[in-house]
Amino acid sequence: MNRTLLGFIRKELTQTLRDKRMRVLLFVVPVIQLTLFGVALSNEVKNIRLVSVFPPGDAVMQKIHDRSIASGWFLPVSTQKVFSDPFELIRSGTADAVLVAPPGGLTRALGRGDAKLQLLLNAMNVIEAQAMESYVSAIVQRTILEDLRLDPPEPSIQVNSRVLFNPGLETAIFMVPATLAMVMIITTMVMTNNAIVREKEMGTFEMLISAPVSPAEVIYGKTIPYVILGMSNFPLILGVAVFVFGVPMRGSLLVLVLAAFAFVCTAVALGTLISTFCKNQQQATLAAFLFLFPMIMFGGLFFPIENMPVSIRWVAYLDPLYHYIGLLRNIMLKGGGHAYVGTHILALGLMALVSVVWSFRRFRTTL
Amino acid sequence: MKLFWGRAGAVARKEVFHILRDPFALAAALGLPVLMVIIFGISIEFNMKDIPLAVNDADQTRSSRMLLDRFASSGYFGIRRVVSPHQAVAELTDQKARAALVIPPDFESDLISGRQGQLQLLIDGSDNSTVGPVSNYVNRIVGAGAPALYDLRTRYLFNPELDSRWFVIPGLTVVIMAILSILLTALTIAREWENGSMELLLSTPVRPVELIVGKLAPYGVLGIIAIAFVYVIARAVFQIPFVGNLAVFGLGSLLFLITYLAQGLLISVVARNQQVAMQLAMVTGMLPSNLISGFIFPIESMPTFFQYLTMLLPARWFMRIARDTFLQGSGLIELKVPFLALTFLCFAMIFLATRKFKRDLEP
Repeated sequence: MNRTLLGFIRKELTQTLRDKRMRVLLFVVPVIQLTLFGVALSNEVKNIRLVSVFPPGDAVMQKIHDRSIASGWFLPVSTQKVFSDPFELIRSGTADAVLVAPPGGLTRALGRGDAKLQLLLNAMNVIEAQAMESYVSAIVQRTILEDLRLDPPEPSIQVNSRVLFNPGLETAIFMVPATLAMVMIITTMVMTNNAIVREKEMGTFEMLISAPVSPAEVIYGKTIPYVILGMSNFPLILGVAVFVFGVPMRGSLLVLVLAAFAFVCTAVALGTLISTFCKNQQQATLAAFLFLFPMIMFGGLFFPIENMPVSIRWVAYLDPLYHYIGLLRNIMLKGGGHAYVGTHILALGLMALVSVVWSFRRFRTTL
Repeated sequence: MKLFWGRAGAVARKEVFHILRDPFALAAALGLPVLMVIIFGISIEFNMKDIPLAVNDADQTRSSRMLLDRFASSGYFGIRRVVSPHQAVAELTDQKARAALVIPPDFESDLISGRQGQLQLLIDGSDNSTVGPVSNYVNRIVGAGAPALYDLRTRYLFNPELDSRWFVIPGLTVVIMAILSILLTALTIAREWENGSMELLLSTPVRPVELIVGKLAPYGVLGIIAIAFVYVIARAVFQIPFVGNLAVFGLGSLLFLITYLAQGLLISVVARNQQVAMQLAMVTGMLPSNLISGFIFPIESMPTFFQYLTMLLPARWFMRIARDTFLQGSGLIELKVPFLALTFLCFAMIFLATRKFKRDLEP
């Protein structure tokens, strides 16, 4: 490596790290975020406020209600308002679910043999509504069968389910790798973009060009430091993920580091490419939004990519975050399938290559 | 008072010139929210279909084939045949399948002799969100149905067909506008410091409050126009119902925008350096409004401490206002808590930005 380049890298690192707030943002904030989102988020729907409407003395409904509360998924609602309109209960936000017994009570209706229960749900959150329904119907079925002293019917086919890779369905194991990826792309891509655009805005970029350095040296000098910075907080975040959250590390550490390196290179290369289109930092922020927001949405954390229309799925394949979140989960939880890991690291590498080549051409033509 | 508005107005006018001078930023501020809502409105779907299912049918009989036909025709699963249980697991590891179904060799003979037919289902647990739906669908297809002793009818209020778009688009508007508002103002004051124009501004008689208000106003107008665009797209393109009061939604939008713009300004005052400001804006804007505002992950499911923590997040309150006014038709009285909280946060942000700015100026 030549001396110009080394000087460049040293200058860039000093400039970034001399600001105390930047050091905090790079090394402390990611850990806080990982902890925050790792602990707070959960896919499991809990604390549903349930009201059961039934006449006094309806033993079966009482049992259903008590069971629901005891299951831990539901919370009781103070009983004063119970006898108002069930629809109003949900509309006013007092309850999320209201289970209404048939007139005369469920116990008697079961005796007559026509038990019609009604369940009203606040379905504004689609995922939550589906979960609430399956909880309630499971509890109702079990209680009624028990009350009628019927054994649960023996199905002709029995499904033995096993959940692989995360048998306890722990949210942290699912969330933490994704959060790690999101935190990393913010520091790397956005920082690189800003660093280059700042020089442009302040006019120091012209100085660099008039100096006896080649465009390649400028580009490498501006990107390598950010690859170093991006990789430098990876061990820290990974350590928190594994040791604090107990995310298993079933694959090879070497492969994981390789994947992270490929990702950081891609992020930095993309940041560089974006910077060639921005004149000032105001534009850089909007460009960051333009790229980062879709990247997070297509990353596979919020919505399964398989559900999307085919044409849009191709957009997701252009999202480095999608590949990286997939890689992290695959390597950490599944031990890394060779074909999968190979394909996706290659995809990241290809994206990095295209961005670098494109940035070179942009630099050459714009300067 | 007259002087106050005069000076704040002058700052606002200067900021308007700054926005108009940069057509790219203007187009981005107005166009990006619309673009994002259209892209994600089209692409987001929570109801799963064609889930890749690796199937190892070791039985190869009429019964097993009939069962697989039921899987194939359900629309929930796309079947990929594999030759061994071992290969089924490999399909999961390589992410070619989300679940694997193994039919053992004595499946049909068990059924004929009156024993239970055994199936083995392996589900990929690396993506939690798909485990529940997959096992539900399988059980429904295999038909471990309840006897008809009772009839449970479910009514999905406010979204009777469980349309993902009704759920996502109002929420998406909130998230997008939160991020955009922070980004719009996060650089404004840091830029003045970096370019050295802050010294100039300080030598004028403009006071901190006037500066903050003057900087907020033009972006507030920009934000309201962007929200109006998104509203029109949601209604006209995606046919999302709006059963509430438009004025309530508008008032909520305004409070929400000002709060986030003020947060951006606070960041700008604190950071003084555009690169730091940008990172702070991303960290406090992008991830929290996506993850802990109740957009996808319900707040009620969080541990109690975090439920309280999210109360500091303006997006959480506007999420409630936006969804309730769109789908549920809540009025100002039902939404008094979110409105009060948002108003409080709004004033708190402006106050903090002003005070921090003032303190910075004192020697």
